Amino acid sequence: MEIPYVVVIILFCLGMYTIITKKNLIKIVIGFTIVESSLILLLMLVGYKPDGTAPILDKGYEIVVDPIPQALALTTIVIGGSVTAVMLAVVIKIHKRYRTLNIDEIRKLRG
Amino acid sequence: MSRLNERFKKLYKIGLVITFAIFLFFLFYDIHNLDSDGKRYLSEHYISEGVQETGATNLVASVLYDYRAFDTLGEATVILTAATILAFLVPITKATMFGTTFKSIVNQTITLIIPFLAVLGAYLLLFGHLSPGGGFVGGVVLSVIPILLTITYSVDFSEYIFKPAQKKLVENIGAIGFVLLGLLGVFTGSNFLASGQAPFGTGSAGEVFSAGLIPYLNLMIGLKVGAGLAIIFNSLIKEK
Repeated sequence: MEIPYVVVIILFCLGMYTIITKKNLIKIVIGFTIVESSLILLLMLVGYKPDGTAPILDKGYEIVVDPIPQALALTTIVIGGSVTAVMLAVVIKIHKRYRTLNIDEIRKLRG
Repeated sequence: MSRLNERFKKLYKIGLVITFAIFLFFLFYDIHNLDSDGKRYLSEHYISEGVQETGATNLVASVLYDYRAFDTLGEATVILTAATILAFLVPITKATMFGTTFKSIVNQTITLIIPFLAVLGAYLLLFGHLSPGGGFVGGVVLSVIPILLTITYSVDFSEYIFKPAQKKLVENIGAIGFVLLGLLGVFTGSNFLASGQAPFGTGSAGEVFSAGLIPYLNLMIGLKVGAGLAIIFNSLIKEK
C-alpha cells in the first residue's frame, strides 16, 4: 500500500466530515470540492506507472502512463466546476430568500 | 444533559467518518493488489496504435476527441446547462461591484498581461493534439481575460468589452459546431463523430493540420468552455 492512497483516503474523509458537520452552506460546498479533488488524485494514481512519461508520443518512449484515467480526470474537473457553480448559485438564492447561511435556521424558517 | 447530547452527536459523526475511512482503506488495498498483476489491454492498445489510428500525438486528446468523443459531447452539454442554469437562477437587473478600487499599477499590469494570455490560449487551443493542452485548458485560459477585466475594472467595463449576448453567441457556435463536425463523419459515410476511421484521412502525425477532426473539435470546445466560464463568473459576481 503506497502513501498516496492514504492521502486520498484522508482527503476524502476530511471532505465527508466537512459535509456532515459544518453548518455554513459555503463550507459544505468547500467540502464537496475537497472530495472531488481527492477523486481526481485517485484517478491519477490508478493510471500511474513507475518511471512513466506523459502520454504525448512525439518521440519513441518506452514507458507511458495510462491515458484513459487522465481523460476521465479532465471530465471530472469540468463537471466538478460546473456543479460547484450551480451549487453556489443555489446558495446565493437561499441567502437572498432567508438572509442567512446557517442550515439550522433555514430549517426553522420553513414555510 | 443537552451538552452531553451535543458531544455524543459530534463523537458519533467522527466515528462514522473513521469507519468509512477504514472501509476505504481495505477497498483500496484490494484494488491495489488486483492492479499490480493485471494487464490493461485497452490502454496498451491506445498507447501502441493510437498515433497511427488517430494521427494525434497527444494520446489524451485522441481519447477525448476520437475514441470517446461522445463522452466529450455530453461533458460540453453539462457546461452549457450550467451556464444556462446560472443565467436563469441568478436574474440580474443591475450590475454593481462592491467598492474595490485598485491602484493604477494593477490596472496597467493587467492590460499588459492580457495579450499574452490571449496568445497562450490560442496556442493551447490550436496545438492541443500535438502538445500538452487542448480545448478545455485553452478555453479556461481564454476565459481568464474577461474575468480579469471584471475583477480589476468593473462588471460594467467587462460587459462593455465582451457583451453578454456575444458571449452567448460564441458559446452556441461552439455547441452547434461540435455537432455539425460530428455530422461530417455521417455525411462521408462513417459513424457520428468519427475522425480516425472517416475517409478524409488523418494526415501525417506531428503537423498542425493533421489528426482529422481533432483540431477543429478542440477549437469548438475551447470557444464553448471559454464563453461558458465567462458567463458563469459574471453571473455569480453580479448583484442587485
